[in-house]
Amino acid sequence: ASKRQQKSWFSILRSSLPFSFPILIFRLALRRIAMVLEATMICIDNSEWMRNGDYSPSRYQAQADAINLICGAKTQSNPENTVGVLTMAGKGVRVLVTPTSDLGKILACMHGLEIGGEMNLTAGIQVAQLALKHRQNKKQKQRIIVFAGSPIKYDKKTLEAIGRKLKKNSVALDVVDFGESDDGKPEKLEALVAAVNNNDNSHIVHVPPGPSALSDVLISTPIFTGDGEGGSGFAAAAAAAAAGGMSGFEFGVDPNRDPELALALRISMEEERARQEAAAKKAAEEAGKQEKVGEQASSSQDAAMTEAVNSLAVVADDKKQNLTDDEAALLEQALAMSMDGAKSTSVDITDADMSDATAEDPELAYALQMSVQETVRDSSSQSEMSKVLEDQSFVSSILNSLPGVDPNDPSLKDFLASLQGQSEVCFVLKLRNL
Amino acid sequence: MASVVSSVIPRGQVDLVDFVDWSGVECLNQTTSHPLANALKQGYRDDDGLRLESDADEQLLIFLPFTQVIKLHSAVITGPEEEGPKTVKLFANKEHMGFSNVNDYPPSDSLNLSPDNLKGIPVTLKYVKFQNVRSLTIFIEDNQADGDVTKVQKIALFGTTVDTTNMKDLKKIEEH
Repeated sequence: ASKRQQKSWFSILRSSLPFSFPILIFRLALRRIAMVLEATMICIDNSEWMRNGDYSPSRYQAQADAINLICGAKTQSNPENTVGVLTMAGKGVRVLVTPTSDLGKILACMHGLEIGGEMNLTAGIQVAQLALKHRQNKKQKQRIIVFAGSPIKYDKKTLEAIGRKLKKNSVALDVVDFGESDDGKPEKLEALVAAVNNNDNSHIVHVPPGPSALSDVLISTPIFTGDGEGGSGFAAAAAAAAAGGMSGFEFGVDPNRDPELALALRISMEEERARQEAAAKKAAEEAGKQEKVGEQASSSQDAAMTEAVNSLAVVADDKKQNLTDDEAALLEQALAMSMDGAKSTSVDITDADMSDATAEDPELAYALQMSVQETVRDSSSQSEMSKVLEDQSFVSSILNSLPGVDPNDPSLKDFLASLQGQSEVCFVLKLRNL
Repeated sequence: MASVVSSVIPRGQVDLVDFVDWSGVECLNQTTSHPLANALKQGYRDDDGLRLESDADEQLLIFLPFTQVIKLHSAVITGPEEEGPKTVKLFANKEHMGFSNVNDYPPSDSLNLSPDNLKGIPVTLKYVKFQNVRSLTIFIEDNQADGDVTKVQKIALFGTTVDTTNMKDLKKIEEH
């Protein structure tokens, strides 16, 4: 029951909060959010119209790149997903590969395709439907992705009938409208997708020719990001890869062995980052007392500390322009530290940096203490979270340090007042109502 | 409506809703706002406000796997007078049928529902065809008014299990 709670918590969190969460949380969401189990058939347009160069390098090549990306994203989001490919033009509709989870096989079959002939949309969709019907794992949802580059010679009614048949058999349809645009092609394809659409599972994207690649345009669309909840990890994964972040597990513990711990670690790191920003602003003040955090840094907590700095570094890259010089310098230092690896010396220096920042900020120290204790103790992370959230001042200071949130907003004040004794799920639900 | 039905449960038969394997239940062409659970699940099916409705056209294809092997004796299918189902075909032990191949096989039984049936009178099935049922496919082909939307209020199946014909269960039903 708690796992399910976590899942829905994160989806609510992600979708409702008014500010953008850092990549950390998205990467967590990638692991956490429901991975839709799907069998997909991709319909390639390899007609003569694809020779045109208005998409760089050519329409066909742009299409092929986009398809490669989609295949990768689908197979990555859920290892049991299968993808198949067929061509709609050439000598006739031909299935290149039936739905399989073997990405290599899928990419290999895309080589050496010949361009020519005319696209047969209706036959292509019908064959795709048949291929999906004979999928091995009947639990997979059925999806067809059509790349429509040629003009559409069918009328709206025919397309709507096809759409209804797909809906009847619970097949979802995504259409990429690119290439030729004339004869009411966008409207026809819109009508087709509207006929199939059941609860927002089908989408259409119109891509006009332009400087940006077809794949780049598609990454941000629901075709990649899935239907709302499911699979928004693709975009996140792509973005994370682009940010040049880390690969592999964040904290060396992570999801498979102890998901609740991983969850807690990430949350505490994120909160600590927010605190760090606020605290760094006060760094000009004299650093007085010695910190309990420094004393508590033992070898068993090295990993947590260093990883915290690592994650800070990743986030720092994104947030740098928002920081003052002081903070930037602080984070650069932290970044340099993290690059040295998990040596005890670097950790000591790291601790020193941390302690400077935390000197004036007991709440930050508390957060660090919390995150540090998490690695040692094996207790339920949920209760820790609720304790953290119940700390009124802590929560209000987080909210203060976040961009786009006005601390004097009366609704915010009411919300904070009502926070006492609530679980974190209620917290998020309330936040959503703000 | 509920009181009418419960007094008409055939002797010796058990309501098979307890033996439905919910993880494998599928329904093609249902609307998301009116799903199959409204017609099948106890509590939902007796609620007059909750119904199963068809989506793109008037046909519905329902697949019900069971947790045990059962014998199917009779069925109650209720719905509104106009939009309730008319021709219903039942297939025993045929998995994963689609609308395209549903008419390729002869049905185990084919029902033509009368307005009385739609009010709750059970339909007795060809018992000999349903002696060893692991899964049941219900194909609702059209409705009374030949309209575009078929609405089903309740689907209840009666029969016995093959492995354990529990005398305790029989007593429970007759107490109604």
